[in-house]
Amino acid sequence: MAKWIKIAGGAVVLAAIGAGGWAWTSLNTSRSGVADDSVALADFTSDDAEAVARGEYVMRMGDCAACHTRGQGDFAGGYEIPTPFGTLVSSNITPDRDTGIGGMTERDFFDALRQGIGQHGFLYPAMPYTAYAKLTDGDMHDLWAYMSTVAPVSNDIDENGGMAFPYNIRLAMAGWDMLFFSNSGFEPEAGESEAWNRGKYIVDGGGHCSACHSPRNALGAEVAAAYLEGGSLGDWSAPDLTQNPHVGLGGSTAEDIAAYLRKGSDGVAVAAGPMAEAVEHSLQYLTEEDALAVGTYLVSLPASDTPAPEGADVASLPHAALDYEVNCSACHGLSGEGITGMVPAFAGNKGLLGDPTNLIHAMLKGARAPHTHEVQTAAGMPSFAWKLSDERIAELLDYVRNSWGNAAAAVPASSVAEMRASLDAREPMANPAQ
Amino acid sequence: MNRREALFSLGSMAAAGSLGSAAAAAELKGFPAQTAMSADHLPVPAKTGGGFRVLTGETEQKTVKAVFDRLIPADANGPSASEAGCLEFLDDQLAGEYGAGKALYLEGPLKPENEEAIMGAPQFLTSPRERYEAGLKALEAYAQENDGAAFHALSPDRIDEILAGLEAGEIDLGEGVNGQAFFELMLQNVREGYLADPLYGGNRGMAGWKMIGFPGARYDYRPYVDRRGEDLALAPVSLIPLD
Ligand code: HEC
Ligand code: HEC
Ligand code: HEC
Repeated sequence: MAKWIKIAGGAVVLAAIGAGGWAWTSLNTSRSGVADDSVALADFTSDDAEAVARGEYVMRMGDCAACHTRGQGDFAGGYEIPTPFGTLVSSNITPDRDTGIGGMTERDFFDALRQGIGQHGFLYPAMPYTAYAKLTDGDMHDLWAYMSTVAPVSNDIDENGGMAFPYNIRLAMAGWDMLFFSNSGFEPEAGESEAWNRGKYIVDGGGHCSACHSPRNALGAEVAAAYLEGGSLGDWSAPDLTQNPHVGLGGSTAEDIAAYLRKGSDGVAVAAGPMAEAVEHSLQYLTEEDALAVGTYLVSLPASDTPAPEGADVASLPHAALDYEVNCSACHGLSGEGITGMVPAFAGNKGLLGDPTNLIHAMLKGARAPHTHEVQTAAGMPSFAWKLSDERIAELLDYVRNSWGNAAAAVPASSVAEMRASLDAREPMANPAQ
Repeated sequence: MNRREALFSLGSMAAAGSLGSAAAAAELKGFPAQTAMSADHLPVPAKTGGGFRVLTGETEQKTVKAVFDRLIPADANGPSASEAGCLEFLDDQLAGEYGAGKALYLEGPLKPENEEAIMGAPQFLTSPRERYEAGLKALEAYAQENDGAAFHALSPDRIDEILAGLEAGEIDLGEGVNGQAFFELMLQNVREGYLADPLYGGNRGMAGWKMIGFPGARYDYRPYVDRRGEDLALAPVSLIPLD
């Protein structure tokens, strides 16, 4: 990110604080009033087995482990999240009194999860409290019950030690919250079905889908006007989930989406990268009904206005057809048909026709499909960094994105080169002078 | 080899084996998330540009070329071995782990008669690099002694005659060089150079593959398996794209 954006960004945040927004509704914690404020987590273990089980479901849906479990013990934190403002480290959320959240009461926990107010002050929105704000009181009570059963782990974390001034000042996040945080619970739409409302609740709340699938502005806030129209995650990108017929889910049914979430594949696309992780650790645990509800909601989203890509000319590509047959067709099929549930098809796989980041990433580093209860193969995409040059990779991607009925913008070889450097992927080997 | 010696040699082999495997053992659980290949799983292309690294002597190079180009001469079917890069291939192989005999057991004790009987072929304590060094020297000495000329300067017919004599085990190249085995080593290497993937320096322009109709390093032949008896006219491809 350009330096001036950082500086300008800091100025906006500090100015917002200066404007005296203390009474602003974004900081009002009265919603947490339903929670107990007397017993600390370290002093209590729930004996309500059903509440604990329901809480575990909420935990899976929220994918707390994705960020809070990173080789230092279950929920013991330590995951480093690079942000444009410096490195943030996820907290230890085990009931350990000194280094975890053992000292929190249920009310403190509600404040942290739904309002972004943690033990050390305002939380950075890398912790998706902007989405968890939608969690119902019931789900929150259950989650609290579950957290009380987690084994305490002593692991001291300095969350914002790696953030640069002024972003290491938590108070600044008060201004951010004022600007971007909607402090309100989930409101069902009266005119919509129960499934639709349940779907929206999961997408906007626990599932925090927009954390990845919505674009963010220079200050790291989701752009509401482009809700679920696709977001960049740096070296991955989350595609458009609206009904856009060119690059979105136009043409997908609620059942297709439910299958994708629970098995990692709808028979055409196969989840890769961060989505494979989300499926493996979180979404495969959704009940069939909940997964269908998410599908029902997503297929109701109006199409984004991203126009049909112009397309690139495949016939003039000198190497692609042979390169594809020789290197790719064994798995992806001679007609781009893939292998159902294991290897993504290219024909009709619209998620691959927008931002090419994921395709380049998969080519350079390979990818591993999720391992789920129902689909256990976890098929692998090999890395081709060692054998294919930037130009050959770009050409191949143009080929798969513009064959079998597809149309997508050409991928510049320079994008492949940039990503080869940023991912620290191997340089291609050269054949000796022939 | 008597019983005690046999047991001793088995024991020392086992000891060497177990030491090696303990150090290399790695335990894998589940499946690896990363699919990028680690360096030791990737092919190592021939080094180019720096000239020969093992066959540095002019006579050595000319002798190998003379032998190789009689084993695979240029004709209507394709270029000669040297035109196809077999010398560069051989030099690169000899400079690397193959030349050093990394995959060979090169330590004593050795009872050549017994080992040869067990293995069904002559066994050596020397690496391929050392065998070429000694073999080429002996070949040149043989030509100087019997023909009064350098080996590479002999007529094709005479070279064929010597090679045939070596192959039949009728020519003695002297102390420490098994002429028949050296012939076989050169024959094996020239074939490898002519037919291995061009990334190893030989098979230039995939001439070897074009000659025998081998389509190269393709991942999958399912589209073709049922098309028997047809000329598929498949263009050969190298593991690393050539153009
Ligand atoms: C996308 C990553 C991510 C996910 C998913 C996530 N968190 Fe966090 N969480 C963080 C980060 C990063 C912090 C530290 C933020 C900071 O210090 O500003 C944090 C902080 C917290 C805190 C505050 C800790 C304290 O000491 O004040 C709590 C409590 C918490 N998370 C609970 C949860 C729970 C429960 C879930 C699942 C419902 C969850 N988190 C999911 C990234 C995440
Ligand atoms: C061994 C089988 C195999 C081969 C060969 C193979 N792929 Fe893949 N590919 C896969 C699998 C499996 C996935 C799904 C990985 C995942 O979901 O994480 C995949 C994923 C991909 C993706 C990413 C799709 C996404 O969801 O973002 C692209 C792009 C891709 N492959 C292109 C290619 C190209 C181009 C070639 C030939 C150069 C090729 N693949 C060769 C198995 C293969
Ligand atoms: C951690 C980031 C992240 C989160 C959270 C996330 N996604 Fe994704 N999602 C991705 C990425 C990256 C891809 C692209 C995967 C690929 O290339 O194979 C993706 C792909 C998808 C696709 C396939 C799109 C297509 O056109 O093929 C669907 C459907 C989807 N996500 C739905 C969801 C839903 C619903 C949620 C919330 C319950 C969600 N995602 C949460 C990152 C995320």
